[in-house]
Parts: sequence; structure tokens; C-alpha cells
Amino acid sequence: MKKGKTRLSWTGIKLIVFTVSICLTATGIYGAKGPSESAAQKRADIVRIDAMQAFGKLERPPVTFLHQKHTEALATQNKDCSACHLVENNRLVPKFMRLKNTAKQEVMDIYHANCTACHQETAAAGQKSGPVVCGECHKDRPDLVSIWQTIGMDRSLHYRHSKAQNEKCERCHHQFDEVTKKLFHAEGKEGTCRYCHKDVTEENRLSLRLASHLACIDCHSKTLAKFDDAGPVTCGGCHDPAQQKLVEKLTVVPRMKRNQPDMVFVRSTKSGIKNSNPATRMPLVPFNHKAHENYNDTCRVCHHADLNACVQCHTLQGTKEGDQVTLEASMHRRNVNMSCLGCHDLNQRDPKCAGCHARIARARQQDPDACQACHMGDVTRVAESIQNTEEKDLVAGMLDSRNPVTHTFAESDIPENVEMKTLMNQYGPVKLPHRKIVQTLSGNIKDNMLARYYHRDENTLCQSCHHNSPVAKKPPGCASCHGRPFDERDPFKPGLMAAYHRQCMECHEAMGIEKPVATNCNACHQKKG
Amino acid sequence: MSITRRKFLGWLGAATAGTTLGKTANAASNKHFGGYPKSMGVLFDNTRCIGCRKCEEGCNTVNELPAPDLPFDDLALLETKRRTTPKAYTIVNRYDTVSNVNVKGPLYRKVQCNHCLEPACASACFVRAFTKTPKGAVIYDASVCVGCRYCMIACPFEIPTYEYDKALEPRVMKCTLCYPRIVKGLLPGCIQACPTEALTFGKRTDLLKIARERISKFPDRYVDHIYGENEMGGTSWLYLSAVPFKEVGMREDLGITPAPNLTAGALSGVPIVVGLWPVLLTGIYAMSKRKEKIAKQETAEAVAAAVDQTNAEAKAKYAKEMEQVQKLKQKEIENAVKKALDEAAKAEAEDVSDTKPEEADKKPSEEDS
Repeated sequence: MKKGKTRLSWTGIKLIVFTVSICLTATGIYGAKGPSESAAQKRADIVRIDAMQAFGKLERPPVTFLHQKHTEALATQNKDCSACHLVENNRLVPKFMRLKNTAKQEVMDIYHANCTACHQETAAAGQKSGPVVCGECHKDRPDLVSIWQTIGMDRSLHYRHSKAQNEKCERCHHQFDEVTKKLFHAEGKEGTCRYCHKDVTEENRLSLRLASHLACIDCHSKTLAKFDDAGPVTCGGCHDPAQQKLVEKLTVVPRMKRNQPDMVFVRSTKSGIKNSNPATRMPLVPFNHKAHENYNDTCRVCHHADLNACVQCHTLQGTKEGDQVTLEASMHRRNVNMSCLGCHDLNQRDPKCAGCHARIARARQQDPDACQACHMGDVTRVAESIQNTEEKDLVAGMLDSRNPVTHTFAESDIPENVEMKTLMNQYGPVKLPHRKIVQTLSGNIKDNMLARYYHRDENTLCQSCHHNSPVAKKPPGCASCHGRPFDERDPFKPGLMAAYHRQCMECHEAMGIEKPVATNCNACHQKKG
Repeated sequence: MSITRRKFLGWLGAATAGTTLGKTANAASNKHFGGYPKSMGVLFDNTRCIGCRKCEEGCNTVNELPAPDLPFDDLALLETKRRTTPKAYTIVNRYDTVSNVNVKGPLYRKVQCNHCLEPACASACFVRAFTKTPKGAVIYDASVCVGCRYCMIACPFEIPTYEYDKALEPRVMKCTLCYPRIVKGLLPGCIQACPTEALTFGKRTDLLKIARERISKFPDRYVDHIYGENEMGGTSWLYLSAVPFKEVGMREDLGITPAPNLTAGALSGVPIVVGLWPVLLTGIYAMSKRKEKIAKQETAEAVAAAVDQTNAEAKAKYAKEMEQVQKLKQKEIENAVKKALDEAAKAEAEDVSDTKPEEADKKPSEEDS
């Protein structure tokens, strides 16, 4: 938020109020990309004024309004937000020049009279001004492309806010008391805004959009009035992708203080470990919550609906609150990023992993042997031993015992070079730097605890190339299985030439290795002498 | 032209039966033809193609086509979008901007004859120069070709090309699926040359299974569509792609109707026109001729009758008039006689007083005669 906005204190409140109000007045922002011609202007402040929709079908296309352009223009005339927005209860009203939508004609007149009046005045003063003719504002297809991008509070941004507010959580976090109809701060119950503030405004509950614009911009502008430095108050400050990149990001973010566990067993029943149903005694999963906090930008990646334990909604049989997603599905579903396996799958897209993993077909379910990789804690024993010791220590002990260290064969057992001399026709043999490849692969995963854990067997890494064959120190050669191509009786197996080429090329492509280029035959093949 | 009604109806019946009951040709019927069983095909997977142009080289070699202007390892050619030529049955084009985030580099498309299950070229050819063989290949017989190039217009994939530079006996040139090689059990030239099996050769039914398996195993890598499974009624070449097919220059507007079916309605009218119409028209001609003849005859008779009648009437009238004239004459004579007699009588009486001897003389003489 140190974005050179420090000298703009005189415009502070005005800009904010104006921004907020217009943003709130109009209910739609172009999310979809419009005309993609390069001639189209790229803006992050496009507001579609379609307030008249409340009164029925629109007679003319909605007005595409560039909010930031207006704030900047007003600033040059020493006008503030009140030029467009009224104040009620010491707070700017987001609607344009009115407190609420009264009647169709009245609202329409407010827009027409005030917009054109200001445009005319500005033009009369000899300044660049806006349109006064119907069709110039009510344009069906304005030549604009929205680059607006959503923004969220990641861990780094959250820490910087909490530090700036002296860890006074109540300045932002609140809950609504149904009885007193007032907001109050429930200590230790804080969660992300979007748990309550949804897409649209409901009774006693603002939409996320309204809530964030009111609260964020109000605070930023008040801060800006007092100090030189504050968060953005303009549309682009938050929503322009280029400016988002300028937001300072901490490399090491101190842990959030919300009484979350460090190490915990993933509960399979709401009642806790001791009383779990013996009929469903799947060994429990010890989970390093603290470590996982660092793997994600926000808590809501996993805690998508609230900050409670998963089993509160996702019970073994599923509940209505949990959308009937069972505990099993919530942990193992592979095409979503909030489940364990879904997120672990996503990690495999890292170029360091993708070389091998992009080629591995995604099975509908995991190999049953893989269950034990996580499900280690026998329920009965855990329940017994937990009485004697802290859960945290027990989990830590289990996790430590897993010993996530990648093993490979001794260097002397890994052939340094492999010369491939089969299929020589147009070219000479290929010399494969075998040991270098193995070392690169193992080096790639040494900093990744997940990868280390899953590659702890000395054969695992080898199997990315030496696949579908018995794991051994000296695995069978490629030609043992791959031979003549397009065998009718085995149509899914590639022939030897394709097996070689695809193994090398597809791995290189997935890992982003640009050289040797796939079409440069002589980069790998020796010239035939 | 003397056709009896019985004869005419007989011909009509025979012609109708001939056109409707005759053996139906599948290539031009509305029946769906799912391809010859065990016919061969090729599956092109653009996620595996590296754009090396080895297939073009392989094609050139096995078909003994003239050497290209630039060598096959010159990949700069991929900068432009090319099409098949009489000297290149297959070409590879490169597409740089693709929408699939999982695709890191450009994508390639190999262009060659798709060997449709029901080929448009064959249905357009009126000398049957094109044949869909049970092996799957659509082959061309230059010896019967008249050079009309309807095949080139008919092909939705714009594949057949023409040897415009040949003054004598120019041919239509296109990929043959290396038919002479596949009947011998050899692989087509392009497939043999492909280093990555981006081209898979096999039975079309197996290829469909392979394609479906790849899509289900790697759902992120492919669009869920096998191009050629149904396009234009199905083709022997099948395609898998990482992006929608139109992004790699392939037509998505072709529909699933085989080309012959598009013209079947109009063409099914041809036998009727050719077979039935002469009979029908001849009959109509004969009938109208006969009608004319009868009319003529009837007119003549009527005229004759009218003339006779007129004559008779005129005769009768004349006779009647003559009779009347006679009667009048008679009457006149009688009157004249009577008058004369009266006068004679008068004169006799006057003779008595003042005699008119001549008259008196006359009268008795008349009476005497």
C-alpha cells in the first residue's frame, strides 16, 4: 500500500466517498472480457449504472461509467465525493445524489439533471467534459475491456493490517446480534468476511462488495487524512492487476493467532476421539496444521465455509449443512482444491513434479495401499494414549516417525551413462546422462516435504521412467516390453521408438526444459558415422 | 405414334417399379453406413505432435513424390499455413495461440485425406474414379478420370489437388493411405516415420477405444471430442486435440451427415427423370397427337355434314320457292285468262253495241288454242 498515494491527503475522503458510492450504486461490473481488440481501452474502474433496473426493464442500454476517471477529474476542480454522494449518519451514501431509490421518474431525473448539469458546467468553464447527449452515455457496446480483478486478504496482507491496527481484531471483525440488532465482536470467533457477507445483500447483511467498499475505503481514507500512508482508495488501487502486484508481500508471515491447533488428529466424529464409533474405526490421520498454514495463502482454501473442524459439517454420512459431502469425500475428492488429495494433486503441477506426474494417468481412486500413508493412528490406541499424553505430542511423534527423506540407490549403483543403440537407422546411438537425470530429479524434491514423503522408497523416483516393471536395482530395459508399434493385440502400448521419444520429450516439456529442442534430432542422436 | 392405353400404362408401371425396387446404392441412400468392418484408420493426437515434419518426409519417400524446394528439416516453413499439393499429400501446420493452459508450446495439425467412410469425392465423381476400399483407404483411378475436378469441389476438407502444371493427362492427387503398402501389411509412410506415435495406426474401432481411453485418463489434456468419429458421417482419420478443433484450423461446422446424403434427395430423382420421364412424355405426346387427329377428323365430318345439310336445305327451299313461283305464275295466267275472258265477254257485249271486231276475233281464237 505504499504506492505513492502519500501526497493526496487533501483528496482523501472525497475520493473515497465518491468511489464507494458509485461502486455501490451500480450493481454490475464487467467481469467478462468485452471486445478483445487491442484498440479497446483497458480499465479496472468500469461501473455499469443500471440502477433503473429496480423499476423494470431498461429503456436504454445501461451507462458505462468510469469511476476513477471522474474522481480524478473532480479532484482537479477541488471537488470531493460530496459532489456526487450525499451523507447520512456521518457516512457517505453509495447511491448517486440520493438516499434511496424512490420512484422511477425521480431517480432518472436525478441522474439526467446532475450528470448533464456538471458536464455542461465543466464544458462552459473551458475544461474537458463528458457527454450531454443520450446516446453518448447510453452505449450498447462501449469500446472498453475490463481488467478488473478480485482481491482478497491473504496471510501477508492480513498480518500487515493486524500489525497496523495493533492487533485490535474488533476494528474489522464483528458478528451480528440477532436480538439487539447490533454488531459486536466475538473474541476468538473471527473468520474471513465472506463467511457472512455473500454475493448479494440480504436482510441485516451487506453483500461482500458493499461491505468491503464501505469498510476498507472508509478506513483507508480516514487513515490517509491522518497519516501519509494508507491503503488504496481508488478502484485501480485494489482491482488493477498491475497495481495488485505492487502490494508489499512478506516472505515470512508470522502465524495468525486464532487458537488453531499445531498438530491434531483429523476428527472423524463430532464428539471427539474418545467416543468415536467403533464400527468406523479407520485409523486416524495425524495432521500438521501449523505446517499446512504456510502452504496456502489464506485459511479459506481449506476452511471454505467456516473455521471449525471439517467434521462439523462433513460427517461420515454427510449432513445438510455440508451439502451431503461426506467426510471421506471432503478429504479425498480429487478435482477440488479444498480437499487433501485435491490440493496434493495440484502440487504435482509444479514443473519440478510435472515431468513425471503429468504422464501418470489420474485414477478415479487411490491405490488402497496408499491409505496407510496418512491413516496411521489406530483409534483405540490413540484414545487410550491420549489420556496419558498431549494430542499434540502424539501427533508430532507419529509424523516424525514417518521420516520424510527421499531415498535413492547409492551413487555407484546408478549407471552414469546409458547408451541406447537399438533402432539405429538414420542416426547413431543416443547417450543418456542417466545419473545426472536421477540426481536432478531427487534434487528437485529435496525441499518439498510432501514429495519427500511420497518418494521415500529408493525405487520410487526410478519408476517414472522404469514404469510398469518390477522395482529393482537393475530394472528391465525399455525394449523388454516395447517393440513393434501398433500391435492389434496390445493397442495401448507404444512401440519402442515412440516410447523412447515420448519418455524424453514429454518429461522435458512438462519440466520446462527447453534444450534440446524436440525437433533437433542431432542434439540427442549422434550422427551416423 | 400409335400407343394404346394398355401399352402406355404397362410402360409406366414398369418404369416405376424399376426405379423404386431397383438395388439401392448405399453411397447415395439415407441409410447410415458405419464403415467397413475391420477397416483401418489413423488417430492423430496433437498433444503428441512435435512438428518435426518427419511424416511429410516419410510420405514423400514412399510415394516417390518429387523432392520439395526446401528440405524437410527446414521448420521455418511452419511459419505459413500450407495446404496439400500434387507433390505433397500431407503437410503439417503450426498453431501458436492456444487456449488450453496445460499446453506449453504451440500445437500442430497434420493435413491429409481423411478417408471418409462415405466420401464426398466418390459421390461427386460420375465416372467412379474414387473407391472406398474395405481396408479404409479412398483410392483414385486415373485411367477413368475425365478431369472434371468435381471431387475437388465436393471435398469438405479441401484435400484433392490437381496437376495443373501437366499438359498431358493431368491427375487428381491426394493421400492414398498408402493403400498399396497397407494391403501388403506395411505401415503408411507418415506413420512409420512419426517418432512419437502422434499418429496411431490401427483398426478404426480400436482407435476409437484408444482415443476414449486417453480422454478419460487425461481429462485435462484433451477436449472431450474425437474429431472424425461422426464428422461428415465419420472418417477413417480420427483426431484428438488439446484445444477446440477450430483453434487448430479444423472445421467444426461440417455436421455429421455423410456428403452423399446431402445430395441423395436430389440424386434419387435422377432415375425417375431419366427412366420415367421419356415414357411419360412420349405417352403424353402420343395422347395429344391422337386427340388432335380425332379432332381434325371430327371437324371434317362436321363440315361435310353441315355442307350436306345446307345443300339439302337450299334445295328444298329452292324447290319450295320454285313451286311458289309456279303457283304465282299459274295464278297470274289464270288471272290473265280470267281477265281476258272478262274483257272478251265485255267486248262481246260492246260488239253488240259498238263492236270491237279484233278483240272479238281474238278471244275466240285464244279459247280455241
